[in-house]
Amino acid sequence: MNRLIDVILSSDAAIRDQSLDAVCADASLDDLLAQCRELDEFRRQSDNLYHRVRALFFLAAIYRYHLPSRLPVSNTGLVPFAGHEHLLERRFQEAIDCFLTDQEQHGPSAAIASCLAEAYHQLAFQTLADQVRRSVRTVRGNQWMFRIGHPDDHPLRIRRELLNRGDGSSPSPLLCERTSVRMDFSHSAWSDIFFLGMDFPEGARVLNVSVDLGVRGRDDAPQPPIETYLRVIDQPVLRLVSTDLGASTDITSIPEMFDFARDYLGLLKAAVIAAGLVPPGLEGCDHPMSDLLSRMVGPGLGLEVVSKVNDIPKGSRLAVSTNLLGSLISICMRATGQVSSLTGGLEEADRRIVAARAILGEWIGGSGGGWQDSGGVWPGIKLIQGAAAEEGDPEHGISRGRLLPEHTVFDEDEVSAETRKRLQDSLVLVHGGMAQNVGPILEMVTEKYLLRSEPEWTARGEAMSILDDVVEALREGDVEKIGSVTTRNFHGPLQTIIPWATNRFTDLLIEHSRKKFGEQFWGFWMLGGMAGGGMGFIFDPDVKAEAQDWLQQTMSETKRELQTALPFAMEPVVYDFAINDRGSWAELQAGDAAMMPDRYYGLLVPGWLKREARDLSPQTRWELEQLGETCRDSNSDNSTSRMLLDRMLPRADKDESRVESLHDLLETFGFDREQHEQICSDLRAGRVGLSQNRLPSTTEITDVKSEDVIDVRNGAEARYVDLGKAAIRGGEVAVVTLAAGVGSRWTEGAGVCKALHPFCKFDGRHRNFLEVHLAKTRKSSREHDGPIPHVFTTGYLTDAPIREHLEGHQRYGFEHPLFVSPGRAVGLRTVPMVRDLRFAWEEMPQQVLDAQQQKVRESLRAALIGWAQQAGEGEDYTDNLPMQCLHPVGHWYEIPNLLRNGTLREMLERQPSMKYLLLHNIDTLGASVDPGLLGLHIDGDQTLSYEVISRRLEDRGGGLARVNGRPRLVEGLAMPNEEAEFELSYYNSMTTWITIDGLLAAFGLSRSDLDHPSTVDRAVRRMAKRMPTYITLKDVKKRWGHGQEDIFPVAQFEKLWGDMSALPDVSCAYFVTPLQRGQQLKQQSQLDGWLRDGSAAAVKALCAWS
Amino acid sequence: MDIRKAVITAAAPDQHTLPLQRLVDRQGQDKTALQLIVEEVTGAGIEELCLVIRPGDQVSYEQAAGEHLGMIHFVDQTEPRGYGDALLRARDFVGDDPFLHLVGDHLYLSDSDTCCAKQLIDIAREHACAVSAVQATRENKLPDFGAVGGSHVARHTDLYEVTRVIEKPTPTQAEQELIIAGLRAGYYLCFFGMHVLTPFVMETLEHLQSETVGHESTPAALSSRGANRSITLSDALSVLAQRQKYLATELKGTRYNIGAQYGLLIAQLALSLTGRDRDHILTELVELLAMRNNRA
Repeated sequence: MNRLIDVILSSDAAIRDQSLDAVCADASLDDLLAQCRELDEFRRQSDNLYHRVRALFFLAAIYRYHLPSRLPVSNTGLVPFAGHEHLLERRFQEAIDCFLTDQEQHGPSAAIASCLAEAYHQLAFQTLADQVRRSVRTVRGNQWMFRIGHPDDHPLRIRRELLNRGDGSSPSPLLCERTSVRMDFSHSAWSDIFFLGMDFPEGARVLNVSVDLGVRGRDDAPQPPIETYLRVIDQPVLRLVSTDLGASTDITSIPEMFDFARDYLGLLKAAVIAAGLVPPGLEGCDHPMSDLLSRMVGPGLGLEVVSKVNDIPKGSRLAVSTNLLGSLISICMRATGQVSSLTGGLEEADRRIVAARAILGEWIGGSGGGWQDSGGVWPGIKLIQGAAAEEGDPEHGISRGRLLPEHTVFDEDEVSAETRKRLQDSLVLVHGGMAQNVGPILEMVTEKYLLRSEPEWTARGEAMSILDDVVEALREGDVEKIGSVTTRNFHGPLQTIIPWATNRFTDLLIEHSRKKFGEQFWGFWMLGGMAGGGMGFIFDPDVKAEAQDWLQQTMSETKRELQTALPFAMEPVVYDFAINDRGSWAELQAGDAAMMPDRYYGLLVPGWLKREARDLSPQTRWELEQLGETCRDSNSDNSTSRMLLDRMLPRADKDESRVESLHDLLETFGFDREQHEQICSDLRAGRVGLSQNRLPSTTEITDVKSEDVIDVRNGAEARYVDLGKAAIRGGEVAVVTLAAGVGSRWTEGAGVCKALHPFCKFDGRHRNFLEVHLAKTRKSSREHDGPIPHVFTTGYLTDAPIREHLEGHQRYGFEHPLFVSPGRAVGLRTVPMVRDLRFAWEEMPQQVLDAQQQKVRESLRAALIGWAQQAGEGEDYTDNLPMQCLHPVGHWYEIPNLLRNGTLREMLERQPSMKYLLLHNIDTLGASVDPGLLGLHIDGDQTLSYEVISRRLEDRGGGLARVNGRPRLVEGLAMPNEEAEFELSYYNSMTTWITIDGLLAAFGLSRSDLDHPSTVDRAVRRMAKRMPTYITLKDVKKRWGHGQEDIFPVAQFEKLWGDMSALPDVSCAYFVTPLQRGQQLKQQSQLDGWLRDGSAAAVKALCAWS
Repeated sequence: MDIRKAVITAAAPDQHTLPLQRLVDRQGQDKTALQLIVEEVTGAGIEELCLVIRPGDQVSYEQAAGEHLGMIHFVDQTEPRGYGDALLRARDFVGDDPFLHLVGDHLYLSDSDTCCAKQLIDIAREHACAVSAVQATRENKLPDFGAVGGSHVARHTDLYEVTRVIEKPTPTQAEQELIIAGLRAGYYLCFFGMHVLTPFVMETLEHLQSETVGHESTPAALSSRGANRSITLSDALSVLAQRQKYLATELKGTRYNIGAQYGLLIAQLALSLTGRDRDHILTELVELLAMRNNRA
């Protein structure tokens, strides 16, 4: 039998738990292809979900990691467009068939392997997600909600206690629920991922504790951070209010309830739906909400659901949103009699159904959490473990484990009150300020779990034993031991499985803590999926208070040091915390006590006051009177009246300073107002735009012929190597690294300096792009015994951080001249044209998302189109931090900037022998001063030699083509249609060898002209006019509240370096180089694959760190 | 098990006049709802009947009872303390005998020659235990009924051993606790308004009521069962299911709740469409529909 199928089917753990790497180690290319064929056949025929999924992950990994390395280096292939379209439409099966047929016809290639890897990977996750969803729907107690299709069928009724308004003059009783958040001691290496619990229930164990929080220095005492409220109102609407996000809405129709991204109330909507108040089966039912409410609550009546999170920021790793969802669901279920008690705590059965509904809510809202996340609904410290699926369970026969885990709450016999206190006396809980998306990490964990690679599988075993150690330490009451165990967990298994669980910020904090407190620092405790946000530091109780103050200060300082390199969403905070031993708790308030929290009134009262008193409902009038009483009461602390005044009376508008400083920045960075106005006017008039970026449809675009490129994937001939070595020795070459961009994709628009991002550990330490590039240049220089100067080109956002960083790190000891070439141009972002948004979202092929996420996305896009119309299409984008309103104007400008700002002149002065430049992107980590390539460039005597690589699926954005018969690079934006790009074998890596004198000549300059700035400026302007201008849409983050972020698409323009190849008077050559040399790291999610496929090791081999 | 007594409750504040409503029976005879109910029980061999009513209603009930007045004992429910309490008023009447119980706002139409009450009593006699008539009911009607969970009795179709009884369950509870194998998804066995009960039920009701009176004011009692919630028959049947053999059966017939909106009209239509005047009523209905459509 096929060994891989044997691994999947075997009941013997020794065979089943073998790693894919071990099985594939000795296989030849033909063996692998044969195994893949059989495995594909097997997964098509298998009825067993988990056999199918494991086979899919095996196939994905073989095509991603094992097959490419066995292909001849000079293989070239195309990505079939039809298959790509299937992928975008999520027709994975069809895509796989298309790619396999292509492979049969044209033989294996890196291109087709990348397509198959992606298709299998996506199909595997889709299969898993579908199964979790099916399980969520089939949990008993959830099924009925999917059958209700009409408001008249609604089977829930509000409890009578909530309708009791006493004498009629007072408001409805108010139900209030307070819920804590959860903090996990250990999650046994992310074993709370649903799939893991369902496939490996015995390995899925989490120990978590419910905690109340307070921000140190702000709150008097820790409180349950989540409060939710529900009451009957005298208007037939479903009112949702989020006091922390400052949003409220009156929902009057059922379809509005399913429009998640229309406002900030998506989570509340998901909760109301998951609680069955508006059952998910009603989606698509076009009835007024009053029909449903009159049946559920009574004619003319409505419901109000309010959430309040006590300023706990996003990314706290304490599962705030899942527990908020749980709290909201619980209160809604109490109100409709779906859980037994209206007030007080919840029974175990109730908590289980609330947890099941919270999972449903996460799915409905398009978010995702693990099965331990609703832990705050439970009291105290509890062990949560996967449970085997037994007869009668909906999962029986499908998966080994159940969707929902079992909770065992530890009583005081197991973990004494003394231990709980000691824990509180030692642990310092903080939010470091980073709020990163943990989703990619969870995907990596799932994949690695299924592939069973040796070190990671061993680490999983260790993580499981660590949980036992924590339990033991808790029983013994030994907090110091807990610290040592959680530290071991963090540095050991967690980072073995996911190296990205930590980052430079966290490592520095641990280092500083150890240095400052020595033996009295007992350990580090990673919370949730990754470090950087919510984290725990355990100290000797004697120094806890000191450590709290110290940590607050140290975190702020470290953040300041790293904030240009890492995406921080907020200022770090230190929490006070207490273990919550009663779980989610509800109270019913009636009469005068039935008042909402202050912030609710702060949000709604201004709106009430704008209306005529007679238009307000009696209940609202009563509340206004009560508020009036409170404000007039001289005995009260007046916080309510102050808050109301703040909301209603205007304050000095801080935005003025924002506009002013934006103005200053534009001045400073060389903003060309005239050019900007011209572009805006062209944009509004439709003369430029996304569709106008494209070359005319009559343009003939074909793939290049073999004579158009020089294939150096098998290495350059020795004579070229010698020529290159001699040039290096003679000091003829320098390296230019483009570092002006803000890495929009790298941090999803967070606006940090990508060059400084410490993205990966090399030789035991996180190192950033800048350091890696310098280390490569250092090594080339040493190997070939010649001085190689290095230049980093910068922009408005990256210039100061890069300069400061280089100075702060003593230029990393770089021995040769090191230059920073500042940008001389900046653009101002504009509100996009609806036409362009529609073009990007409706006319360009788009990756369709999973069904529910797609709904959320469509709703969000409708909202963003509304935003663009409201903000003014083509108007200046100024509603953000000034730096976020600016944009770099494309990497083309970075080369002329070298001429304009005098950097090139200085370089030539210091090293007059210099003749050539190696230009590359900040994220092209494999680019180095390769003597063979340099020799080839010199020998060809062309001005520019562009390096291209054979195309893979992920290499999108243009390529090398014959345009009307002439070879040149074509940007993705300029492709006359989507399909054209897929006809091209080579992708532009952007790495370019430049002959300095040739380049100057192309600009109409000579070396001596560099001394005359006005001549240079004129030359650059002349050349700029010959370069096409592209309009692009970029995502920009706007941060607000406590770590909240909105992402807006904004329009900007750019000119791109590849278009130099279109100039008839610039001679160009094209070198086909190996993939590892030309591949780019555009997104952080690529990092894991990059580390695993040997690329990181290849980069490391090019570097000399000191 | 010999069943010769019946108890009908008709004391609910909003329902007490329902048995006095007039309808035309299958034979075209003008009768009160009470007469129809009484005929249902006499057809099942019941000899004595206890009617639990509101104080002051007896005279009108006597007039509505027709020829069967002689077999009826009237008992007043002096305070409106709910369904369980109403049934408990018949405690002395029942004594130590098993009895048939019907609610006063339901009419029953059998699909066979045997009336519904007779079908139920036959089963109770055969199995010598309490039996409730039930009907598969869609989940959107759950807020109106008590419902049972249990399993099929071997070799009997439509007969169930009851393990769980919940009054007006939410669909969440129903799905977790009341699923019956063989029923369509979203359907549950809800009470038909007709039971054969044993004296144990009366004892249990009495016990539950004394407990409630004792704890009425404590918050725990209020929150666990809801404030002001009175004892229902379902509470007692829930205890019965745990202590004694207790069956539920689906009868060949249909119940009509004349207390619901248009309930009386629908019951009348059902009677007429299965009786002597079927063609006449159908003709009238078609004419009505045609007129309606023309206007539309």
